[in-house]
Amino acid sequence: MLAFRAYSWFLGRRLGLTLLTLWGLASLVFLMIKLMPGDEAQMAAGADASAAQIEAVRERLGLDAPVIMQYLSFLGRLLRGDLGTSIVTLQPVLADLEKVLPSTLELVFIAMLLNLAVAIPAGIVAAYRQGGVFDTTSRITAVMLGGMPAFWLALVLQYVLGSVWRVVPISGQQGYGMNSPVVTGAPTLDALIAGNFAGFFDTLHHIILPAAVLAALFATQIFRTLRAALLGVLRSDFIMAVRAKGATARHMLVRHALPNSLNPVLTLSGAQAGAMIGSAVLVETVFARQGIGAYMFNAVAQKDAFAVLGSVMFIGTVVCLVNLIVDILQLLVDPRIRAAQLGSQGQ
Amino acid sequence: MRTVHPMPDQSAVTPLRQPLVTVDKLTVDMPLGRSGSSVRIVDGVDFSIGVGERVALVGESGSGKSLTARALMRLDRLARLSGRVDFDGTDLLKLSDRDMGRLRGSSIAMVFQDPMSFLDPLMTIGDQVAETLRIRGVGKAEARKRALAVLDELGVDRAAERLDAYPHEFSGGMRQRVVLAMALVGEPRLLIADEPTTALDVRVQDQVLDLLDDVSARRGLAVLFITHDLGVVAGFAERVMVMYSGRIVEDGEVASVFAKPSHPYTQGLIKAVPRIDQDLNTLYAIPGAPPPPLARPNGCPFHPRCDQRFERCDKDLPALLQVGLSRVACHLHDGQQHDRHPHDRKGA
Repeated sequence: MLAFRAYSWFLGRRLGLTLLTLWGLASLVFLMIKLMPGDEAQMAAGADASAAQIEAVRERLGLDAPVIMQYLSFLGRLLRGDLGTSIVTLQPVLADLEKVLPSTLELVFIAMLLNLAVAIPAGIVAAYRQGGVFDTTSRITAVMLGGMPAFWLALVLQYVLGSVWRVVPISGQQGYGMNSPVVTGAPTLDALIAGNFAGFFDTLHHIILPAAVLAALFATQIFRTLRAALLGVLRSDFIMAVRAKGATARHMLVRHALPNSLNPVLTLSGAQAGAMIGSAVLVETVFARQGIGAYMFNAVAQKDAFAVLGSVMFIGTVVCLVNLIVDILQLLVDPRIRAAQLGSQGQ
Repeated sequence: MRTVHPMPDQSAVTPLRQPLVTVDKLTVDMPLGRSGSSVRIVDGVDFSIGVGERVALVGESGSGKSLTARALMRLDRLARLSGRVDFDGTDLLKLSDRDMGRLRGSSIAMVFQDPMSFLDPLMTIGDQVAETLRIRGVGKAEARKRALAVLDELGVDRAAERLDAYPHEFSGGMRQRVVLAMALVGEPRLLIADEPTTALDVRVQDQVLDLLDDVSARRGLAVLFITHDLGVVAGFAERVMVMYSGRIVEDGEVASVFAKPSHPYTQGLIKAVPRIDQDLNTLYAIPGAPPPPLARPNGCPFHPRCDQRFERCDKDLPALLQVGLSRVACHLHDGQQHDRHPHDRKGA
């Protein structure tokens, strides 16, 4: 009971902090709208609107009210989930995002899986055999991948794997005739729901290259962070104590060294989840995929300011939520953080 | 005047009991960075420990005593070992990593200096004590039961409730009991205790020593006790080995070494212990500091600090020879004829 109260107190505090951050972000976005060169009403009405039309739009959007009132009504609209209206699609930005987001989430999810599945084992082996052949080659690879522009990596892989060896499709989300009825908007999930296994593997086949390109840069960060943390932990006394108990290297690494090195990796991957959605802009464009990245790219190209800012607001919210989840995960991993955050009753 | 009984016969060293561990010409080299070169920290040490015997290994920090102890379990991944470590008939230095792992915790176990840093902060006490058994395939419930039994035996109060607590919730003395329980739960025959009381306050030190005394007697455990505290040696060990600059310089029964130390270094160590029945204004300290392992002087490594040195001391390295009931590595006791008028310390 006490533990439950300690947890809800912690969650309440963290949620409060998250809301405060979002409020800051919203204010920033509002400021960006106000600071943008040009007349908002003109932008909303379109480039070839008449003066009367512009005035009508100004009145409808409340742009003739004092700035403070505009700010308050902006916040009010946000609370109701209104991110503004796209000038191009004439749809609410949120409705547009709902259509494209599942595809991005799917890409980011698979990229994150790839990222962790490659970087964590590589980091463990490199740290355990510090200075060995694997350590040296993987560190060189990490520096090269980390320094490589993602679009260039994407183009090279498209050329080699897609064009020369023809093992993966160059672009798109699924082959002709592979569509499944849209339920979630994420092609792989929809294929699974429809029981369309050929379609499922086809969508996976399409997603693997863009996900790998998206994962590459982030994997080098996770690899380096985990390797550095592990090197420190492997030198610590309790690792020697575990070895003195007769533990195998594998047991020592998986049960003791890794959990004690996970904290910075957890924090970093939380930040990465947000950054990946941002990086999706590039990958979705290069690989001609649907998603929030492609949506933002088009919005920028067509000077659709409200769509851009609405998307920024939305990505910011996702980042805040991911950080909240990371905070909770850290609490579950480390009893010392648990004691500090929850007080003694949290034990 | 000292009486000298030259007995170069090494076989006379055999302890009265059947030996459990016999160490022969053990050297430990530690690599220097990535240069490929290395430095010899432990330089040809030999000794043996009998079944159930308690031996203290004393020396200043850097003398190589901890590395010697860790070498017996091959715990330092970077250390390069040579020589022989015979445990119950097998040479530990020749075992595969896997076989060595099987011996650790079950035949030879270790208790460490700072109980906080030697416990995994993310794992419960119960799991850490039971781990030695779990690694060997003992079932979860059984391992927990045996962990609880050992913790109870060591006087951890409310042990049953605290199995699921974490190290940071324990006091220093209790943590040391947990570390001891981790070592004892696998029922080893040799316990290596690497300065297990150094990090504790005096009152707790005594408790832990009594406990160690108790459980090792009850279980017939052989103990290699590493310390720089001669007071602890007197109360706990039967035999004491003194290390200096990577070598053993004296080895003998505690009572006889304390009553009549042979090596000038041992004499200095004993003289440096403050005594309550002496009224002194200044405490004695051996002048100088031990040489760094990369710059050991020629001859006896102790000679620059020795107040009884003579000509041969900076030329020949003295061998560890039987002198009476002890073994001593000092030219004063090697039975050869020499002019025994130590020259004055220059500039001292």
